[in-house]
Amino acid sequence: MDDLLTDFIAETRETLEALAGEIVAWEANPEDRTRLDSIFRFVHTVKGSCGFLDLPRLQRLSHSAEDALAEVRSGARVPDPALVSAVLAIIDRIGELTDALEANETLPEGEDEFLVAALSARHAAPLAEAAAAETAVGKINVMPANPPTRAVSRSIRLPVELLDRLMAGVSDMVLARNELSRLLRAGGSNSVTDVAFERLSLCVGEMRDAITRTRMSRIEALFSALPRMVRDLASELGKKVKLEVDGGDVELDREMIEMIRDPLTHIVRNALDHGIENPEQRRNAGKAEMGRLRIGARQSANQILIEVSDDGRGIDAERVVRKAINAGLVTAEQAAAMTWSRKLDLIFEPGLSTADHVTGVSGRGVGMDVVRANIERIGGTVDIDSTLGQGLRLSLRVPLTLTIIPALTVSARGTHFAIPRSAIDELVRPKSDQVRLERIGGESVAYIRGVRLPVIDLGRFMGLSEETEPALLVVLRAGGGERYALGVEAVHDHEELVVKPAAPALMASGVYAGTTLPDNSRPMLLLDVAGIAAAASVGISQAAAEERPVATSKAKAVLPTLLFRDLDGITRGVRLALVERIEDVPTDSVVETGGVQMLPLQGRLTTLHSVAPLPDSDRLRVLRLSDGAGGLAYAIDQVIDVIELSGELSPTPVAGPIAGVILHEDKPVEMLDPYWLFSSAAGAPANDDSPLCLVADADDPWAREVLAPLLGTAGYRVSFAGEPLGDRISVVVTSGSTPEGIDAPVVRLRGTPDGTGDESIYRYDRDGLLRALRQHVAGGN
Amino acid sequence: MALYLIARIDEETIALPATEIGSVVEVDQIAPVPRVPSHVAGLFALRSRVLTVIDTRASLELGAIDRDVQATAVIVECEGHSYALLVDEVEDVIEAGPPEPCPALLSASWRRAAKGTIRHGDDAILLIDPAILVAGPEPLAA
Repeated sequence: MDDLLTDFIAETRETLEALAGEIVAWEANPEDRTRLDSIFRFVHTVKGSCGFLDLPRLQRLSHSAEDALAEVRSGARVPDPALVSAVLAIIDRIGELTDALEANETLPEGEDEFLVAALSARHAAPLAEAAAAETAVGKINVMPANPPTRAVSRSIRLPVELLDRLMAGVSDMVLARNELSRLLRAGGSNSVTDVAFERLSLCVGEMRDAITRTRMSRIEALFSALPRMVRDLASELGKKVKLEVDGGDVELDREMIEMIRDPLTHIVRNALDHGIENPEQRRNAGKAEMGRLRIGARQSANQILIEVSDDGRGIDAERVVRKAINAGLVTAEQAAAMTWSRKLDLIFEPGLSTADHVTGVSGRGVGMDVVRANIERIGGTVDIDSTLGQGLRLSLRVPLTLTIIPALTVSARGTHFAIPRSAIDELVRPKSDQVRLERIGGESVAYIRGVRLPVIDLGRFMGLSEETEPALLVVLRAGGGERYALGVEAVHDHEELVVKPAAPALMASGVYAGTTLPDNSRPMLLLDVAGIAAAASVGISQAAAEERPVATSKAKAVLPTLLFRDLDGITRGVRLALVERIEDVPTDSVVETGGVQMLPLQGRLTTLHSVAPLPDSDRLRVLRLSDGAGGLAYAIDQVIDVIELSGELSPTPVAGPIAGVILHEDKPVEMLDPYWLFSSAAGAPANDDSPLCLVADADDPWAREVLAPLLGTAGYRVSFAGEPLGDRISVVVTSGSTPEGIDAPVVRLRGTPDGTGDESIYRYDRDGLLRALRQHVAGGN
Repeated sequence: MALYLIARIDEETIALPATEIGSVVEVDQIAPVPRVPSHVAGLFALRSRVLTVIDTRASLELGAIDRDVQATAVIVECEGHSYALLVDEVEDVIEAGPPEPCPALLSASWRRAAKGTIRHGDDAILLIDPAILVAGPEPLAA
């Protein structure tokens, strides 16, 4: 039998058992909302699974029950005994059909009609008919007189506790074996005992591997069902979808996988049903006919990140809000104060669906609240990100807990700690040519191949010792582009560790991610790389704050500057105040129109600057710069540091993205010119109320090809003499004669740098020209 | 009647409800944990389980248990985590009736941890809530 079908049967039977109590309780008290919700979710899940397993009978039954329950949930219908009985009969029938499915039998179809009919409000209302419905129900329940013979299954479902106990038992055995081995070595060699011991070791080792495998499973197990599901759903919905699955080799606790299965199914279903448009709509929207659905898993610091993204129509946050207001979930005032992402989050609220019509595939909003509930139950989070018309991305983060992670063991003062290998960039020796250690204001910094990194001494940070010259530096990524070097005394081992959650008192310190027990049976702590950075930087920023008065007394302008490596490999800086945030975006979300790269950010297309072609990688790191009113994105390779720059700026002679160069530690740092960046971003689409600038020299190629673009990027609309004028001229620019009959201030340009005594401006004096234009426009208005 | 484990913390004889206790073990080799509250003595491996070791004297703000000698610990479960409560000595397991209210005169830390007293012969013994020992000293009001 199909694996999926086996899973479905086992799952349905299990839920039915769990639901039995709920059903009875609901019957006793039909007003009970929580019971109603769990029954509703059950039929909804069955409906969904049946849809792609091609079980039309079960699907029809569950769909009709779901319809009736949805009416109850929305308050359109009051549950009466007849309805309760009818729903219960349907659930019983689902159980019978499931049994029959497993035994490869078929049940007579006729009775399904009775059951569905019994659900309808029309039948339930009059008492007599309700009684009739009950008779129908009673009749059905009697029907399967011969007990279904169940096929023998080669797979069983076990309680996870049992696996835990097995795992603990085997771990104990390994430790006992280790101790025995030590004793045998101490007692001298005896070849007969040694051979027997070797055999024991081998058995124990094999057993441990087997038991470990029962707990762990590659996320592949979850992903393998997706291609078929996507294919079936897509053909049912008449859509073309290309599925890309990535990261199937990430290992995850089996229990976690089970917990993620349902939410993931719902998400994929939604993406296909509501996200990706049908081929015609896609063509009209200028997209490829074939929609794209991407599912990827990766380990990110202390979590497993599962991302599902599609390039469909996205979610309109405003529409979600309207629905939420209509459903009474939020008030209009609350909604007005919400950010785009907060509005999107509303789709996780129970009882909210964005689908305007209900289909057999999905669409009652039950999905998303179930998704969130399931993920949060295992300590995870769900994030949603959507751009209208561009697609939707859902990121599920689930904790690493109970996952086996590869780790590096380091020590300080004899105390061992584990560091997740995924967070480690490199290991360097401070004594090598490429590394230089320095102390600045009581803090250590390391220059590794010219890149400056703060150093956190593990021994001192942990309060184990005074700061010593570290034997090794472990360069760590703390997330958000932040990196630092952890100074350690020794590096011991790379090993795979089973990480378990630490006690709350330990987790509260913020620097540990869990505990682990290596084979030497000395408990060890797994470090939280990002937590350590956060805890340590508190100290650094306080130190900086204390020093600041001294710095100002020297009366030297100190500007916090973000230092980064640009796409062309050159180190550049930008004033920190302009940087709104640093963000990773999918590279393929960049669109190019008319030679300008645009990036959808928070529902708006934002100009993206890059000095070199964008890298091939999936993700692109961008700086989001803001001048208070508008914003733009600047693609970079990586963030290096935040530094205080105090040197003199040597301006570059030509206007461009680089304002000038500052010396920092004897190395030149190119500073971005925010003025140029913002003006070119803002200037692209000149809107109708920007000042109109008349260029008098209509026949001069220089004016057309050089001057006009400059004016355009500076935010002026440009018109040439002789063209029809539809608007008032704000300012006239000329190199020669002044056009007659125009009442506007005139800016004169000259061809040589040396002044001729009049008020003319050298034509390559960009600043002077723009200043003059601004003065005239401001004066004229 | 219920079973109680009788132990000594500092100079005080205390009772712990036996239903909440997994076992009593000798603890050697505690792996220290930096940057945590002082009542967390470290980690200890009991076979394949990692236990968080709690210094009960520190929890009650009575100094620290002498760990130079091999220490005795009472194993308890609390909110899904296993803890080893270091005590000065484990004395006995007794049967006693339901707890009675505490006497009025108790130092603040004992008053916080005590759930009542139980009768054993002529003595009244403080019944201690293990969860309070696990939680540690009350944070000072900021």
